[in-house]
Amino acid sequence: MSSQVLHAQGVALYYGGVRALNGVDLELHRGRICGLIGPNGAGKSTVIDAITGRRALTQGRIVLEGHDISRLGVVERRKLGLSRSFQRTSIFGGMTVRRQVELASWKTGIDDWQDDAYAVLRELDLADLGDVLAHDLGYGEQRRLDLALALTGRPKVLLLDEPMAGLSVKESHDLAGHLKALTSSWDVSVLLVEHDMDVVFGISDSVVVFELGRVIAKGTPAEVRADPRVREAYLGSAA
Amino acid sequence: MLTISLMNGLVYGALLIIMSSGLALIYGLRRVVNFAHGALYMLGAYIGYTVAIHSSFWLALLVAPGVMFVVGILLDRYGFRLLQDREPLNVMLVTFGLLLILEDLVVFIWGKGNHSLFTPELLRFSIPLFGSDLPAYRLAVMLVGLGVALGLTLWLRYSRVGLFVRASSTDPLTTSMQGVNTDRLSAIIVGLGSALAGLAGVIAGPFLSLSPHMSSDVLIDSFVVVVIGGLGSLAGAFIAALLLGMMHAVGAVYLPEVSVLLPFMFMIAVLIWKPTGLLGSRT
Amino acid sequence: MKYTQSLLVALVAMFGGWLIVLVTPSASLLGVFTQAVIYAMFALGVGFLLKQNGLVSFGHALYFGGVGYAVGVVLTLDMMPAEWAIPAVLLAIGAAAFAVGLVIVRVPGIAFGMLTLAIGQMFYLLATRARGITGGSDGMGVPWPTTLYGFPEKALRQPETLFMITWVALVLVALLLHLLLKMRFGAVTEAIRDNEERARFIGIRTTVPRAAVYAISAVVSAIAGLLSNYNSAFASPESLHWSVSAITLLMVIVGGFQTLAGPIVGAIVYFLVSDILGDYATYSMAIFGAALIAVIVFSPHGITGAVTSFVKRRRKGAASLSAGATREREAT
Repeated sequence: MSSQVLHAQGVALYYGGVRALNGVDLELHRGRICGLIGPNGAGKSTVIDAITGRRALTQGRIVLEGHDISRLGVVERRKLGLSRSFQRTSIFGGMTVRRQVELASWKTGIDDWQDDAYAVLRELDLADLGDVLAHDLGYGEQRRLDLALALTGRPKVLLLDEPMAGLSVKESHDLAGHLKALTSSWDVSVLLVEHDMDVVFGISDSVVVFELGRVIAKGTPAEVRADPRVREAYLGSAA
Repeated sequence: MLTISLMNGLVYGALLIIMSSGLALIYGLRRVVNFAHGALYMLGAYIGYTVAIHSSFWLALLVAPGVMFVVGILLDRYGFRLLQDREPLNVMLVTFGLLLILEDLVVFIWGKGNHSLFTPELLRFSIPLFGSDLPAYRLAVMLVGLGVALGLTLWLRYSRVGLFVRASSTDPLTTSMQGVNTDRLSAIIVGLGSALAGLAGVIAGPFLSLSPHMSSDVLIDSFVVVVIGGLGSLAGAFIAALLLGMMHAVGAVYLPEVSVLLPFMFMIAVLIWKPTGLLGSRT
Repeated sequence: MKYTQSLLVALVAMFGGWLIVLVTPSASLLGVFTQAVIYAMFALGVGFLLKQNGLVSFGHALYFGGVGYAVGVVLTLDMMPAEWAIPAVLLAIGAAAFAVGLVIVRVPGIAFGMLTLAIGQMFYLLATRARGITGGSDGMGVPWPTTLYGFPEKALRQPETLFMITWVALVLVALLLHLLLKMRFGAVTEAIRDNEERARFIGIRTTVPRAAVYAISAVVSAIAGLLSNYNSAFASPESLHWSVSAITLLMVIVGGFQTLAGPIVGAIVYFLVSDILGDYATYSMAIFGAALIAVIVFSPHGITGAVTSFVKRRRKGAASLSAGATREREAT
């Protein structure tokens, strides 16, 4: 129980007649990577929206390290160490790489923010691009910057929304390796929403499968792979 | 006295309905806040005036909106279409530049003095209603406002073109991919919006005098209407227009010193409560 | 260390102002320059809002003209001596603008412009109608005292002195803004401007900083208005009209809003052109409208934007030239 760092309990999210999430329970343990898979529109990004507070819950709670954070806003949750990246790259185009990462580090309130910013830049191979304006970066570099902004301030939980989107096979592999290393070297727990099955099954400690707003399977990668419901709904017989 | 005030409120409200629906349509399709709308109104009024003094008011009622329809199409084709990839802010400033040019154009052609358009002969009588004698012309204006509101609503709801307009307002890219010629659609709508502004100008003639400054007053009130009603919403604009008309008229009689502040205070109040306006949805 | 560089530039600029005074042949020409400098400060206020918040205000004339009325009322009612009135009024305007800002910066960008237009016009109409307090459309005289901060008004109102005061004020305000933007406040507001949502997701509460920018821009415009008002000793509703805001916005766009210098350049260009136009002044609005359109279509970042890209391209060209030369050398 004490190793459970994030717990979404009985989460439901309805809006405008759509049941985006229905009775969702998922747990994230310390230092682990939990992969979230499911078809498009299954509710994966909405889960991140719900956990970060971008969207209000209709039912259920979000518990971070034993504290119920369901009532808190986006800004408060970030300050508690709940951080996310974005599927569609969301960075500060008119600012240089260094300036925005430093800003993000500083905003987390930690004392050694300058060291933290430098560490993040180095970790994501952005240290040489410090003085480049964000909108002048290449796509892959911008994706890394998006991730860097989320990694500042030594967050406890990192919610990654399709971080591999648009990356080449090599870049995806590199990033996957990075994420695996991060969980031990940075003491962060990761919830990973991804389409790339190889990546998810490759690095996740546990996998959660979504369909139409519900969790249809949970477990280790091997367990999930073997689950007949999952095969039918998502993987198809080719898996 | 109250009846007359209420009626004047409805009359001004009707005018604002016509103006703001044009603004809302243009915004819906081109995402442009058309500062030049006030100038289109003014041009319509002046063109109507010229036609009316040389021929008749009724001809002016046809010609002015017609001319403004063409102006609108040109505006879309050579203005909004060419600038559609620019930032909305920039396009707004361009329409503002256009407003400045058109205002001076009017002075250049018609001079700086005020002009008056006389109420058409046919409508120079009063109807005794609710205990007061209400001028027929003003009642007619109210009917026109109502007609425009109803007509637009029905047209958008039930016609094929209306469907395309609603679709294009929500998602222009997908709509054009479905084969709808969004450029031609936008030209028609901007033309229609401009024609509506021109119509408003002509019918306003008999009870508001024509001057080179007439564009700003109505423009600002129209902006207030659209902001209160919500940028994407025609229905919101209609409601807000009526409310505003009422505030102007009733306030002018009972609270003359502060009446001019009422619309703005109402707007601020609405925006504190709902930053996107009463029925507004998108940013 | 970078701060000393800015301070040096400011000192040089102030000295430059003194040179201008020495070189200018006539008092009336100096008066025109003073006007230009006042409007440059006004434009700086409007431009600051656009630069840091990405918001266009069509209603800053409220602060430019309103300060005159505020001081006028305070002095007429003898509430406090002028030396206190000036900082008090500026502070009050800042506080009021901050409160207003907290509400209106939440309104989406385009509606914000229309909102500021409406608020500005509201006060214009109020000033025109409220004869009792503001003298209505006739305006009101502002009873500036015969000595201000120990200086006799005759000395202060000399064209040379007036010019130097406004010039130094402009340099100081520009310097202060520049330094402010180098601090965290600058980064925070730029982040909000670039991507408000992500700003929240990195822990920035977005309303307060933007309201602060709005308040600062209002105070800068008010300082300009104050200087203008001291010159004329008169507050008129015309100074509140939306066309005044609009012309200033024109200066900002033409000069370029991405730097602090842009609005200043824009104001100077405007006054130069107005002067040259002279006889065609009746249709000056149309000409400015055309200029605005031309600038937006061909160079949306204004004059300073065009200069900056030109310099960048030259630098890139020089860099690739030298890189090519280096490669050649290495090849041989």
